[in-house]
Amino acid sequence: MAAVMDTNVEETENGSLYPIAVLIDELRNEDVQLRLNSIRKLSTIALALGVERTRNELIHFLTDTIYDEDEVLLVLAEQLGNFTPLVGGADFVHCLLPPLENLATVEETVVRDKAVESLRKIAEKHSSAALEEHFIPMVKRLATGDWFTSRSSACGLFSVCYPRVGPAVKAELRNMYRQLCRDDTPMVRRAAAAKMGEFAKVLEKDAIVEEYNQMFLDLVIDEQDSVRLLMVEACIAMSSVIPKADMVKHVKPALVALIEDKSWRVRYMVAEKFVELQNALGGMDESTVNELVGYFTNLLKDAEGEVRGAAAQRIEGFCKTLPEAFREQAIINHILPVIKELVSDQNQHVKGELASVIMGLGPIVGKQVTETHLLPIYTAMLRDSTAEVRLNIISSLEKVSDVIGASMMRDEVLPAVIELGEDGKWRVRLALVTLMPLLAQQLGREFFDEKLLPLCMTWLTDHVHAIREAATNTLKQLTQKFGGEWATRTLVPKAVQLSKDNNYLHRQTALSMLTGLSEAVGNDQTVADVLPIVKQLANDNVPNVRFNVAKSLVRIGKIVSPSVLQSEIKPILSQLGGDTDFDVRYFADEARTALNL
Amino acid sequence: MDTMASQSDPTAGASEVSLNDLDKQIETLMRCETISEAEVKGLCAKAKEILIQEGNVQIINTPVTICGDIHGQFYDLMELFRVGGKIPYTNYLFLGDFVDRGHYSVETFLLLLALKVRYPDRMMLIRGNHESRQITQVYGFYDECVRKYGNATVWKCCTDVFDCLPLSAVIDGRIFCVHGGLSPSIQTLDEIRAIERKQEVPHDGAMCDLLWSDPEDTIGWGMSPRGAGYLFGSDVAKQFCESNNVDLICRAHQLVMEGFKWHFNETVLTVWSAPNYCYRCGNVAAILELDENGNKDFSIFEAAPQENRGAPAKKPLPDYFL
Repeated sequence: MAAVMDTNVEETENGSLYPIAVLIDELRNEDVQLRLNSIRKLSTIALALGVERTRNELIHFLTDTIYDEDEVLLVLAEQLGNFTPLVGGADFVHCLLPPLENLATVEETVVRDKAVESLRKIAEKHSSAALEEHFIPMVKRLATGDWFTSRSSACGLFSVCYPRVGPAVKAELRNMYRQLCRDDTPMVRRAAAAKMGEFAKVLEKDAIVEEYNQMFLDLVIDEQDSVRLLMVEACIAMSSVIPKADMVKHVKPALVALIEDKSWRVRYMVAEKFVELQNALGGMDESTVNELVGYFTNLLKDAEGEVRGAAAQRIEGFCKTLPEAFREQAIINHILPVIKELVSDQNQHVKGELASVIMGLGPIVGKQVTETHLLPIYTAMLRDSTAEVRLNIISSLEKVSDVIGASMMRDEVLPAVIELGEDGKWRVRLALVTLMPLLAQQLGREFFDEKLLPLCMTWLTDHVHAIREAATNTLKQLTQKFGGEWATRTLVPKAVQLSKDNNYLHRQTALSMLTGLSEAVGNDQTVADVLPIVKQLANDNVPNVRFNVAKSLVRIGKIVSPSVLQSEIKPILSQLGGDTDFDVRYFADEARTALNL
Repeated sequence: MDTMASQSDPTAGASEVSLNDLDKQIETLMRCETISEAEVKGLCAKAKEILIQEGNVQIINTPVTICGDIHGQFYDLMELFRVGGKIPYTNYLFLGDFVDRGHYSVETFLLLLALKVRYPDRMMLIRGNHESRQITQVYGFYDECVRKYGNATVWKCCTDVFDCLPLSAVIDGRIFCVHGGLSPSIQTLDEIRAIERKQEVPHDGAMCDLLWSDPEDTIGWGMSPRGAGYLFGSDVAKQFCESNNVDLICRAHQLVMEGFKWHFNETVLTVWSAPNYCYRCGNVAAILELDENGNKDFSIFEAAPQENRGAPAKKPLPDYFL
């Protein structure tokens, strides 16, 4: 172990040996931080030592480092994955196996996983011969190790070496994997289950049907739910690689077992992956569709809120994936009745999920069905006691806009919007602020002016800066929609009022509002409406207002004509450039540079 | 704000930090990423130059927003800026206790410091009892520096900056601001001005008391259960206000569930700005916005929601330092 340390490192071309010597010395320093720093620079050390001494001395030394702190081992495991060129390339890469094999057996999972990741990386650097001579024996040792840690690690190595070995070794590997699937320790079976999908992808088709299938079924009925839930993904992966007939015969029963599993954690995983699972089962004949719809509605009615929530999230995806021939019937006859029950679910989270996806069904089922079936759900959720549910449903307004009549808009949607706009939680208000342009589109200008513009104006003096800022942005978008004349009539008086407010934050809001406005209305109206107020704010008592004038003028300067730029904007910036406050001068200079003044 | 002209320009003075570099560092720190050790050294050197020119009782003018303890809760500080506005849009005074307890003391303190150096007139920092070598070795800042930088250099730089922080501030001559409270050894602001502040926080005496004391519903002075500083009663607060012609003593230092709390007929105010303190207390936070006419407006906020707290590491590294 001391070989590296005691040998003097030869001079490198620039003669700066000292740092390398220090790094090597620090590899065995008592201070864990110094060892860690040194390990992070391991490639530099290897480079200085050259490939031969790296193989013969450094790697040997590192193989013994196994007793170090986990944090050091983690970095070491990662580094070794990139070491192939540093030990001399493909011909010598196997010399990295001993230290990584050790690291793949340690107790700390993070270190083990990193070692496996690096082993997978260097597997492909091996020649086929080297793979069978060095890599495979190591996999065997790990797979039959005494301690579960080594057997868990082994599971992750099969898929990278299997495709490149001879038939005899392949048979041996399959056999070993089957043993791992029946391991006494749940941790090992869990690792085997997690890697099952990727292993299936490299197996020969008949091998899957003949042998793999059995290991697979073992894990689907495993006593541990943490093993079974990993099989959901494995099933999906399997379905894509084996022939349809075999899939129906072998994989489908397994999936059905998982869908109806007694553990909610497994059912939750099924719900999460339901659309993928639906695709995996393919073959959308009527009976399959009916079966699937049955399973899906069962998940929507599950006893556990978590499962219902996860399933609710996938309603839109599921319905979209149904074959068109049976879609509408399935939705109306089977799915909508269940959804109607979910509208009054006791669990807020479930309702929140439902509210955010339910209107996505609109385009799938068409106007008629939306009107008769979805609209009542929409109305009911608008009146929900939870703000999140109301917010989610209002956010999907666009999707039902063409079926909502004026009276429903006035009597149902608007009161809910106004209430949310005054919600105590500022993020709810913020969501509403950003929704305004859409609502304006739906309502039309007059109706908007009457009902929602007052709300927008109150946001300009909200306690929360983010709301004030978003409100000015919303008003800019509204100006783009409703035009400059509308802005002159409604917004400019408000800006004048705010620009004379006692609070500098509100005067800055006026500035921000006017800047957005000028970008929406162009030169003439900027000169008429915006610049007089900006000029007045350039003489504000508070420096923050003055330098924000300079910042705003960068944007406004790009809107106005060159002559206005020279005659109006340049004098303001010159004045601010001679301000008593450093920040004002700084931003005035920045603005002049940006505008080439 | 009234400050010396030379202070306003961060590029003036002996230490070289360009505004451009500072802007980049602020941008990095705003993402909750650390800056390099060399950058920390440069930043701290410049910060010391600026801070040492400020008085023990730093003179501040309205408008300004006053904030209490932050304690390394970086993502909640971002929430504070969302609610109050960023610097330099809004002027701020932070009443100390930037570090310890939270997970991001390094990023939090360096960000506040970089903002101070970049905008010396917009940003005011005064010292809290956690801005101390001894306390930070016990409550997390030291360990965090060593974990994030591999050695204690950054901690040493930062604690040297701590020694330069002002001990208190007076806003428009009417509001006295301090981290903890009053001291039996201090009757007037001039006595605070006479303190030799460039040192580690002592175990007792005037400087210690200012950073450690608490108001208490009694008369006169009492022993503090904290083992440092004192408890001061309503008569003490009234006497101090009258002697120094101030209306209000504004301080932080104590967790209050509602974010702010008035004491003694509105002569003393506690402001607390670390929501859900230590990630478990369930309290809301507050900041006090003073406009240029001295009108007070409290903004209350909660901890930043999970999705605004950056991507948490899937599994944290083994934390054998803590």
